[in-house]
Amino acid sequence: MVINIKGSVSSETKNEMANENIIIETKDLNFYYTPDKAALIDVNIQIPEKKVTAFIGPSGCGKSTLLRNFNRMNDLIPDIKVEGEILIEGQNIYDPSVRLEDLRKKVGMVFQKSNPFPMSIWENVAFGPKVNGESNISNLEEIVEASLVQADLWREVKDRLTDSALDLSGGQQQRLCIARALANKPDIILMDEPASALDPISTGKIEETIDELRGKYTVVIVTHNMQQAARVSDYTAFMMVGELVEFNDTNTLFTKPDKELTEEYITGRFG
Amino acid sequence: MNTNNQKYKQKVTRANTIAKMIISFGGYGVIASIILILLFLVYESMPLIFPADITKDQEISSNSNEKVLLTGIDRYQEVTYLLYENGGIKFFNLNENSLIYKDSLQLNDGEKIISVDKGKLGDELFSVGTNSGRIITAGAIMKPQYNRGGRVINASFKQDDQFGISDSSSNTIIKKITFSENEDGSRFWSWLANARLYIRIYDADEGETYNYDLTSFIGEEKVSNITLSYQAEKLMVGTEDGEIFWFDITDYEDVQLKDHWKVSAASITSLSFLIGDNSLIIGTEKGEVQNWFPVRSQENVFKFNKIHEFKSHSSKVVSILPSPRNRNFVTIDSKGGIKLNYSTTNATGLEIEPTDKKIQAASLSPKANGLILIDEDNNIGKYFVENDHPETNIQTLFGKVWYEGYEEPEFVWQSTGGSDEFESKLSLIPMIFGTLKGTFYAMLFSIPLAVLAAIYVSQFSTKKFAQVIKPTIEIMAALPSVVIGFLAGLYFSPLLEQHLMSVFLNMMLIPILFVVAVFVWRQIPETTRVRFPQGADLIFTLPFVIMAFVITAVISTPLELSMFDGSISQWMYEEMGVLYDQRNSFVVGFALGFAVIPIIFTISEDALSNVPKSLSSASFALGASKWQTVIRIILPAAAGGIFAAVMLGLGRAIGETMIVLMATGNTPIMDLSPFNGFRAMSASIAVEIPEAPVDGTLYRVLFLTALLLFVFTFAVNSIAAWIGDRLRKKYARF
Ligand SMILES: Nc1ncnc2c1ncn2[C@@H]1O[C@H](COP(=O)(O)OP(=O)(O)OP(=O)(O)O)[C@@H](O)[C@H]1O
Ligand SMILES: [Mg+2]
Repeated sequence: MVINIKGSVSSETKNEMANENIIIETKDLNFYYTPDKAALIDVNIQIPEKKVTAFIGPSGCGKSTLLRNFNRMNDLIPDIKVEGEILIEGQNIYDPSVRLEDLRKKVGMVFQKSNPFPMSIWENVAFGPKVNGESNISNLEEIVEASLVQADLWREVKDRLTDSALDLSGGQQQRLCIARALANKPDIILMDEPASALDPISTGKIEETIDELRGKYTVVIVTHNMQQAARVSDYTAFMMVGELVEFNDTNTLFTKPDKELTEEYITGRFG
Repeated sequence: MNTNNQKYKQKVTRANTIAKMIISFGGYGVIASIILILLFLVYESMPLIFPADITKDQEISSNSNEKVLLTGIDRYQEVTYLLYENGGIKFFNLNENSLIYKDSLQLNDGEKIISVDKGKLGDELFSVGTNSGRIITAGAIMKPQYNRGGRVINASFKQDDQFGISDSSSNTIIKKITFSENEDGSRFWSWLANARLYIRIYDADEGETYNYDLTSFIGEEKVSNITLSYQAEKLMVGTEDGEIFWFDITDYEDVQLKDHWKVSAASITSLSFLIGDNSLIIGTEKGEVQNWFPVRSQENVFKFNKIHEFKSHSSKVVSILPSPRNRNFVTIDSKGGIKLNYSTTNATGLEIEPTDKKIQAASLSPKANGLILIDEDNNIGKYFVENDHPETNIQTLFGKVWYEGYEEPEFVWQSTGGSDEFESKLSLIPMIFGTLKGTFYAMLFSIPLAVLAAIYVSQFSTKKFAQVIKPTIEIMAALPSVVIGFLAGLYFSPLLEQHLMSVFLNMMLIPILFVVAVFVWRQIPETTRVRFPQGADLIFTLPFVIMAFVITAVISTPLELSMFDGSISQWMYEEMGVLYDQRNSFVVGFALGFAVIPIIFTISEDALSNVPKSLSSASFALGASKWQTVIRIILPAAAGGIFAAVMLGLGRAIGETMIVLMATGNTPIMDLSPFNGFRAMSASIAVEIPEAPVDGTLYRVLFLTALLLFVFTFAVNSIAAWIGDRLRKKYARF
């Protein structure tokens, strides 16, 4: 099917968020994995602070790519090209004065497939603070406990902190990854389909956790599951073939989508 | 259709079964052949530690009551002779139990043989002393003759020369006699008559005869036994008080007492040299058996040292029979007890009492594999002695042994020597040491290089660089080790010796300048640095390394001239006592390392690259730097693989033959210094097996070496697998 995309973000969308603080902002962001094909085309998005924002869209539309631009994870891929600006808290993240390590400490990430380190649960959570220079054990203890509590995992693992993280269940592992990201005390947490590999109960727990994080952190979550987007997010962005089609508060987007494409997508007529 | 389907299914099942069989056959075949190799190695090396055995072959009666003084047997153990007190000599065929030849020494009326001694090892030339002051030399000849019917031993008897003692009255009794004929045909007699000790030397070259009375040297002591060494350089005299006198008779015109010392509280009842003229075996009245040989003392004079005390007999030692082949000897006591000893190992391999009768005369066969005993009733007993590898046991193979001519017990490997008298010294320790030393230096050189290279290539380098470097290093592995060994031994080692100073300088300068380069690189602001393409850091260090070469080239010669008298290897020897061999461990470490690096690099690189991206991504996403990620995440996760790589490299280094063979001097010395060589187990096998007689001791020791090598590599690989597995379970469950 050939999809014709007309226009991009409408001016009204921005107005909806007029009273939010913007923490991430992209300006005419173009992104290339290969020089001949753009994976992101002229993306302009403003993500509000301490809210949960969801990215939806058909597979391959560039959700992950956009998300991974926020902590420059794409830098690991050779020969990429970025055009335009990405501002986080008003600061261009490609500015030479920005240390990559500091950016990533500030912008945590949870991956689609849980990827705990082959270490103990405690070591996993303490990893971030440690590599960022925290060596005081009692501080670390405190951070680990607080993070595990926030990720809703403390109750389950408090007696087995020295066990290997790999002995946890899939859902627990993913919550451990969330705790690990939280341990860095980030401002923003990026989640790329964090529950897509999990059973419904674990998914529910992750969603609860995300709910807990609302208001304390800026959460940006990529999801394929429209119900999930509707359940957990405050704002939703709909992307297609590298372009941001529509971005609005979740309620509006799901009930009164601005664009026909959006409506077709959320009603399941394609995708 | 249905049947077709079923047929097809059957076919698949059958193919399945056959494939399974073939594959299992292959698998089990490999295991079976490894086990068979192991068993073969064990089978070939086990006889080294088999104990000696003696079995009675036959016993015949000589049908005579005359006292027997001497006996001997031919090399095929078919014919034996008996020399009787009355001068009669009889040859018996042992197989046929028949008297084949009979003759007699020409003695006067009433003249009897009192004493007798053989003049050579493994030869039946002897001298007798009579009760009327005559000394007669004669030979019993047992010569094999081959004709169509097979082998016949021809027996004959030849009376050679005789002399009377100058001051002899007819009742001078020659109480003891010792006789030797040396290589030149010169003959030496020493005897005890009328409580006086004499020596007579017949110099075959000059045709002159020398006579001495040695009694005055001995003083008050009463001589109880005498023996000449086979080359007749030493005359040893034992006394009733247990003292030994050592006469030096190398100068025929000036026979000198060289030393004397006490060895026992009891009378010396038996004395004999072993083959090689070094070890003196002393038997005493109390049954003690001791081995002494001369050792250079701190004052640079030779003194006899007591090396071993063997198991005592229960009564006095009456006879010592040295083996004409090796350091074995048989001691016989007055009650007929017999012990088979090996001097070097201090082992008493056999203790038997074959008869409850006393033994009048005894002899070992020329090949030392047979023993003839004449008991007091003139029965001739013939025994097989099975003692193929007396020189090896756990102690000589793995422990320090005090060999003749050495100043102290040592680990020595010296498998072949110039003469029959040479004793093989087969300690495996120098070779085990050599293998470990070579491996150590090789690993010292290769582990850091290979592992760091693997880390660099898998984690830091650009893809392009990795694509060039990986196949290059893999090609290194395809280089035949002969080529590496050849280059190292014939090209690199002379070059190294010539440019030793430069190499030392470079070894110091390159790391220093490299660190400087890295330091300077770090001074460039990070923001600028990141703009350079990846790999620029490597190129940046290049000028510094070149600088090291340049500095070395400029200052090396003047420095060597001014500080090290023009030659650093000479200087090292003079100032530090470090001997510089051209083919040394440094060279081997380098060459062997060259062979090992591809293994370690390739497997480590694989292990590092196989660490899932998700782990490093997670680490980066948490704000860890590249370096932190490598150290904290990648390395632990790849530790199992890197460890396995190192162990595989180790296994290769241990087993490697050609390189160590060609690049070391193969000297079996035990010295950790990197500047001298060593001999590795593998090289030793390669060098020596062509010269080792099949089923001989050396042959079997080399098989034992192979077995050890097998066990070494097997152990290394097993440990590698085990620890690697554990590390992988711990860190690499992804
Ligand atoms: N590492 C990469 N190298 C080259 N192209 C890539 C890479 N990663 C993604 N792409 C391409 O970029 C486009 C966007 O991919 P992206 O992963 O962002 O999509 P997505 O919306 O996350 O899809 P999904 O819902 O399936 O995860 C796709 O066409 C994809 O093929
Ligand atoms: Mg994606």
